[in-house]
Amino acid sequence: MGDMAVIEGPHNLITSGVGSCLVVTLYDPKLQIGALAHTMLPLSPTQNADNKTPLSRNSSSESLPSQQACLVAEQVSAKVKDTKYINVAIDEMLQRMQTQGSEREDLEAKLIGGANMFPSFDSDIGRDNVLGAKEKLKAKGIRIVGECVGGSQGRSVEFSPTTGVVTVKVKF
Amino acid sequence: MENKLQEVNEQAAANASDALSKLIDRQVEVEISRTEVKKVEDLSPLIGPEEMVAGIYLPVTGDINGAALLIFPKETAFVLSDLLVKREPGTTHKLTDLDTSALKEVGNIISGNYLTVLANVLQIKIIEHIPNFSFDMFGAIVSQIITAFAQKTQEALVIEIEFTFKPETFKGYFLLLFEVEQFKAMLGSLVGVAGGGFLETS
Repeated sequence: MGDMAVIEGPHNLITSGVGSCLVVTLYDPKLQIGALAHTMLPLSPTQNADNKTPLSRNSSSESLPSQQACLVAEQVSAKVKDTKYINVAIDEMLQRMQTQGSEREDLEAKLIGGANMFPSFDSDIGRDNVLGAKEKLKAKGIRIVGECVGGSQGRSVEFSPTTGVVTVKVKF
Repeated sequence: MENKLQEVNEQAAANASDALSKLIDRQVEVEISRTEVKKVEDLSPLIGPEEMVAGIYLPVTGDINGAALLIFPKETAFVLSDLLVKREPGTTHKLTDLDTSALKEVGNIISGNYLTVLANVLQIKIIEHIPNFSFDMFGAIVSQIITAFAQKTQEALVIEIEFTFKPETFKGYFLLLFEVEQFKAMLGSLVGVAGGGFLETS
């Protein structure tokens, strides 16, 4: 949770147990590189006056998915950028991919997650995450080409930077 | 310094044992085998993010604001369901609405007893709200609760619970998350430390 990585093939990125969190993937079909962020909240405190006490995190590469070997070209630690926030994570993914030669208009985004795991409890976290990501991506001019969001089921996500294919697993 | 947490654990477990034994009409021993303070980002590996669990979430308000979350691994949830709705042991392989309702009641009993004892020891007001249920991946369930308090919470009190229906024992977890300052004050009152570290209570 709260981590992001930019990677190139042939290895995939996997993140498990996504509930109200939102996984955002960016894929560059020309360069065949991709980025994945497992975000928790829509806006960083600097852009949200209501949130004045950011959670102190001590993230490390160990918190990245480990079921499959990942070639992590660049991992942005939450120590440096608080990528648990969608707006921060998208900015960071975009910047890192552009550094590697991606053009913004080539990028394709996919969104996964944003569920409400307790349907009888009125929670807007998942929905706000989805809306926040859509607004941010629109503002950045990045196309959303697929989404698997909402509902009340947890999801696990596997992302291929070579093909851009996202595989979503649910358990029931 | 006196460790009031131990006192809370023992009293809450004894009360929960009595209440659960009456509910299922069979002797149940509820024991708290381990109590630990964990950083919220370290909660996901507690069981494994993709493991299926029954999660019972009870919002908590009053003098302290936070969340109580009961986690029963799938096998524990199925065993409890067999006992609660009086099926043959090993019958439950899928949770029905009746099972869900019964498990929520177990959540009410465990959480209610613990929070009542905690409130009495700390002499504060704690209001527990109606339980919400989910049967899904552990990571998905726990992350929603963490996210709900992401701006206000850094640590959680993780209470490992053992249910013994002789001759078998099954595990569950009871997680308490409160706002940072309230959590530190609570721990300070209970064990004389201002949060962090491992609390061996058994």
